[in-house]
Order: sequence, then C-alpha cells, then structure tokens
Amino acid sequence: MRKRGPGAFERELGVEDLEDRLMLTTVEKAVAWAQGNSIWPDTFGLACCAMEMIAIVSPRYDVARFGAEVFRSSPRQADLLIVSGRVSHKMAGPLRQIYDQMLSPKWVIAMGACASSGGMFSNYAILQGVDKIVPVDVHVPGCPPRPEALLEGIVRLQEKIVAGVPPAYEIRGVAQ
Amino acid sequence: MTWEAVPGFVEERETHDETTVVVARERLIEAALFARDELGFNFLSDITPTDYLGWNRERVAGYWGDARGRDINAPGSWGLQSQPEPKPKRFSLSYHLLRVESGAREAPRLRLQVWLDDGEPVPSSVAVWPTADWHEREAWDMMGIPFEGHPNLTRILMDEDWEGHPLRKDYPLGGEPVRFSGEE
Amino acid sequence: MAVAPEKAQIYAGTRIPSPIPTVLQVDPALREAGDILEVNFGPNHPSTHGVLRLVVELNGEQVVGLEAVVGYLHTGFEKNMEQKTWWKAITYPERIDYLSFQINELVFVLAIEKLLEVEPPPKATWMRMLLCELTRIHSHLIWLGTAALEIGAISMLWYCFRDRDAILDLFELVTGVRMHTRYFQAGGLAEDVPTGFYEECRKFADLMPKRIDEYEAILDRQQIWLERTKGIGLLSAEDAIALGQSGPVLRASGVDWDLRKVEPHLAYDQVDFAVPVYANGDVYDRYKVHMDEMRESTRIVQQALDGMPEGPWIVDDRKIVLPPRHELHTSMESLIHHFKLVTEGYRVPEGEVYVAVESARGELGCYLVSDGGPKPWRVKFRAPSFVALEATATCMSDALVADLIAIVGSLDTVMGEVDR
Repeated sequence: MRKRGPGAFERELGVEDLEDRLMLTTVEKAVAWAQGNSIWPDTFGLACCAMEMIAIVSPRYDVARFGAEVFRSSPRQADLLIVSGRVSHKMAGPLRQIYDQMLSPKWVIAMGACASSGGMFSNYAILQGVDKIVPVDVHVPGCPPRPEALLEGIVRLQEKIVAGVPPAYEIRGVAQ
Repeated sequence: MTWEAVPGFVEERETHDETTVVVARERLIEAALFARDELGFNFLSDITPTDYLGWNRERVAGYWGDARGRDINAPGSWGLQSQPEPKPKRFSLSYHLLRVESGAREAPRLRLQVWLDDGEPVPSSVAVWPTADWHEREAWDMMGIPFEGHPNLTRILMDEDWEGHPLRKDYPLGGEPVRFSGEE
Repeated sequence: MAVAPEKAQIYAGTRIPSPIPTVLQVDPALREAGDILEVNFGPNHPSTHGVLRLVVELNGEQVVGLEAVVGYLHTGFEKNMEQKTWWKAITYPERIDYLSFQINELVFVLAIEKLLEVEPPPKATWMRMLLCELTRIHSHLIWLGTAALEIGAISMLWYCFRDRDAILDLFELVTGVRMHTRYFQAGGLAEDVPTGFYEECRKFADLMPKRIDEYEAILDRQQIWLERTKGIGLLSAEDAIALGQSGPVLRASGVDWDLRKVEPHLAYDQVDFAVPVYANGDVYDRYKVHMDEMRESTRIVQQALDGMPEGPWIVDDRKIVLPPRHELHTSMESLIHHFKLVTEGYRVPEGEVYVAVESARGELGCYLVSDGGPKPWRVKFRAPSFVALEATATCMSDALVADLIAIVGSLDTVMGEVDR
C-alpha cells in the first residue's frame, strides 16, 4: 500500500477545507448542535403568558419544528425554564427552587414584560424582573408576546447555543 | 320594604339603583341572620373592606389661588369635582348580598355596611354564609380588619410572615422607581 | 358577638366541612389508626391550572385532608389601580382573569359608566356583547383543552387551541392585539369596527357549532371520559349557594341562575339564548354545561351580527371622550378637551357602585369607590374563581387522588383571578 502524507488526499481531490465538507467536526460543536435543536422546556406557566406559551405547542405555531415541544413537568428532565408570567414574591422561592433542581446546562427565557422587568406592576407584590433571582439568557418583550415572538426567542437561544455561547449562569450572575 | 327592621339599623342609602344599609358593628351577625333568613339573601357575593384614610383632603379642581394670584408651580386643576362628605370612621366593610332562587328572573341585591376604626374587631359571618371564610381572610390580610370567631384567620394572599397590610392607604405602593420618570 | 352554632347552622345534609368550611381535615381517629401521607401538589405542577398549591393528606388512594394555599400570583392589582387615572386603569383588569379578559374590562368599564351615569350608544353595547361572547367561547375552549389534557384526552388540547387561534384572529382584526385587547372605553369602544370583521366573524360563527359537535363526539360517550367524570366531585345545590358558587358550577348543580338572564346587562335581553342547567353536580355535568354554553354563545354571536346597529361607537360627551382628530384643527374647545383628557384624564363623580356580570366562570363583580377625583379610590374585583376554590374541600370529600385533578379542573379556576 502506498503511504500518503498529510494533505495528500485533499491535493488529490483538489479541495481545501475537507474537514468542513466531510462531516468532520469537533465534539463540542456536535454537542452544541444537538443541545440547541432539542431543548426541553419546563412547564412553568404562571399567568397570561402561559396561554401564549401553550399556543406555541398548538398546530399553528408548532414549536416541534424547533425540537422543543417536549414540555417536561419535572425540572430534573428539563433544560429550559420559560418564566411565563408575573412572579410574585411568594412565588420567587419556588421559582429559585425549580431553577436549582434543573441540571446544567440550563437556560432561562424571561417571557413577557412581567418576567423581564416587572411589567406594568411596579408594586409591593411583584418581583421586578426575574433576573434578580435567576440568570436569564433571553428576554422576550410583549404583554403577552405573540407566539411568534416566543418562537423568535427560542430560535435566538438556539443560535446562541449552537454558536457556543455559554449559558447565562456561567457568564453573568443575577441582577442587583 | 322598610329597612329599619334590620337589627342594628343605622342608616339607609339609595344611590345608583343600589340599596346600602348601614348597621352597627355589634349587631352585624343579627343583621346577617335577618338578611339571610327573613329577607332571603342567601348568597354572599363579596366582602369588601375600604380604607378612607386621607378622604376629603384633596381640593376641588379649579383655580387654586386667591385674588393676588397663584403659585404657578402647583399643578393646575387636577382635583376633585366637589368636596366629598367626610366619612364616619376610617374603614368601611361592605357585604354584598344577593338572593339566588333557581329559575327566578330578578336578582335583588343589598349592601350591608359597617364602619370601623383601626383595630376594631368584627364578628365573623362564616357560620351564616360559609363562603365568607376566604373573603374575611383576604380582608384581614389586605386591610388588617380582625374578625372574631373566624376559624382560620391567617394570611391568604401574602406570605405568612409578611408584615403590614398592603391595601391600606398608609402602606407604600412599593416597586422600583422607573428611570427618567421623575420618580427617582 | 359569636354566633350560637344551632342558630346559624345552615341546613342538615350539608357536605361542607366544619369548623373550617374550606379545609378538609383528617378525622383524628384515622390519623391515629391509619397511615396518612401528606403530599404537596406544589405551585409548579403540570395539572393545577396555574400556581395553585394543594396540601393533600392521603390514606392510601383516598383523599382525607385537603387545604388549598393560594397567593402565589398575587399582583396587587387593586393597589396599582388606585395610583393610575381612570383611563390608564382600564388596562389592568384584563390581566386578572386572563382567559376571559374582555369580560373583566367590561365589568370595570360598566362600573365607571354607572358612576358617570352615561349610556353608551347601541352599537357599542352590541359590539361589546359580541366580543364578550367570543371571549366566553375562548375561555371555554381553553378550559376544555386543558381539563381534557389533565384527564388524559390529550388530543383535545390541539383541537381547542386551533379554534382558539381563530377567535384570537378575530380579536386581532378588531383591536390589533390577540390577548388583552383593551378595546372598551368608558362610554363605548376605543375605535370603530374595521371593515371585514363582520364577514370573518360570521364565517367563524357558522363553523363553530360543527366543531363543538366534533368535540362532543370525541368525548361524550367515551368510556374512559365517562368513568373519570361521572359521579365525581359532587356538589349539591344548597351547598353551592352557601359556598357562593356561580356560573357553570352552580348551573351544573341544578340551579337555574345566569346573570345574563336575571340581571341583563348590555343587550342580553334582546337576544334569544337558553341557559343550560344539569342536575347531578358532578364533573360530567360541568363539562356538559360548558359545551352547551359554547353553543349558546355562538347563537348569541350570530344574533348580534344580525342585529348590529349602525351609528357612533362612543358617546359624544367631550368631558370623558376624546374628540375626533379632525376637529382639533378647527375647534378651540376640542383642543382644550383633548389636552385635558390626555394629560389629566376625566373625573368620575363621587359614589360607590357594585356591578356584576356573568363571566365565563361565574359572577364577576367590581366594587368601585370614587372620591370625585381623577383616580379610583378603591377597586375590588369579586372573582368567581376565588370562590370556586373555596368549594374544593366540599367537592373532594370521598374522592380518590386520581379524581383530585379532574375536580380541580372542573371548577375552572384561573389563578390570576384568585390572587389578583
């Protein structure tokens, strides 16, 4: 058998970057691609935004084409926490508990105005932004955001994951 | 229908097609039983506490000044339409009653009202209308009105260890100041 | 004075627990003898509609103790609304019961109009009625989808949400927003009805009865559905009235009571619809009441489309309603009114009112106190779901843990309303 040196095969085919064309990649990129395209959200519907969150599972908006239709009830089995709705101080404790029970890597989408910043409820009862207790990756604006807006949020999260951006808990803490 | 027959009757008002009967706090349960058994108001819709602290303190809308002029920095005419009548005590507790009869085609309503000062207890009407249970707990939680004889008077909407009664007028709204809105 | 129990005891044969009517307490003998397991159906649970926490005590499969803990969604609506002007405050009530959102707006706006003593024009009244009935259908569809999902009929979720999207398309056509439309204004509607709405609405109203037939065909004689809903969660008529129930729960217990017939608001006395009443008081009857109500609401929508009057969509009182924009160029008074209304808002005369309407869940009431100023003094919403949760302990006596979910689902509670 004739021995070939490195690059000999590429020169024969007349092609550069064979690596990119022949389905060779790093394990990290492969894992990131798999994680991004099969995010499993947790059933964390709180208020009105939860209705639009259920709507993304419905046939018209169909989050299944993004791989995220498997809503898990147990946080141990979920990757993504979509905080959909207003978080009161009484609920903040359970929210943090659920977040802590999720296994890493885990991502958080703050859906809607109330989860992002307290929304129209600037008062004694509502946590002014869920990023005060959990690190948030994507904020989706709206009151409530249309299902398409939430899908856009999920798609952006997917792009972040596939691009290799670490989850929020690694790059920032909670807001003060 | 003469409302003076209601035990503890103090006053009756008819406004906006609604009847409000004010009764004395001590005789509330007798009045409630009378309303339920004699008058047939078997359905308690709602128990609403209202805090009138600061009532009648704002001025009527219009020109706020005198013959020499006005302070142009005081806001213009943001005020009341007319000076409201002062209220007898700080809190009012309104029981909204309804007579439900299957197949009936009219719904007589009544509002039983009692007036209280801060800390004055009210007898609990859980035995008269069981639905009063959570309404009274909410009145206690939000306004601090104590109900005597309530089987389970604990906070219902706020955390159990919360201090203060949020819907009172001297309790601050809370929340964060919004940047650039002048609140900071 | 405490009440002597014999005097105040409601009636014999009641299943309401005592001494606390809303808490089912374990029999002390059973606690000694048996092996009681306390389970927490915590605020985050796939099957409790929203953030409801049930602390349940089980003896094997039997529920022997139950307490509902609420407050996880307490938002402070009432205090927030006291700080906003009347105009701005209308945005808030919608988020209270986020499934029948326009009915919440309706009750608040009706209360303001009662204090203002203005009568909206007929077109506004009929349009409000039409939108409220569409909202009722929307709410019942979501109820059906989620309640069936929890009992295990998972496909209902997809069918119901398909129709729900059709209704939200109609709302978007009229108001520009899918949910939380904020279309009702004190005095009428915010804007005129756009062209094309009536045709689309008629198409929907023609299509809906067949869809309801489909849903009934899937569920009505399905053996698993019948076994899981018949005879479960019983509530007698007297218990229901004593516990303050209203809406479908009351009608499923045999009481013919619907505020649209008894105290007609809007134009309900000018349209023809029936009130479904069933006598058994179990989960199956509540399901049947919801299905029949959807049909009746579709009939009302069709009649509203047929009888929709022409004319202005808002009352002509410039002290509470913005003048039309073209007048601002020519009339000084219109400009001043516009300025005053936008910067300060209108003032509502002093008084207190209680207005109740029939929401998808029952009697939704709004108690409003005004001091004659630009902001409400006190707003209180009487939420039917708050009261429905008081009935969980009564419905749950002799239930198994598998029925717990079906019963809580059938009471049709929305936690936003419960906690406000």
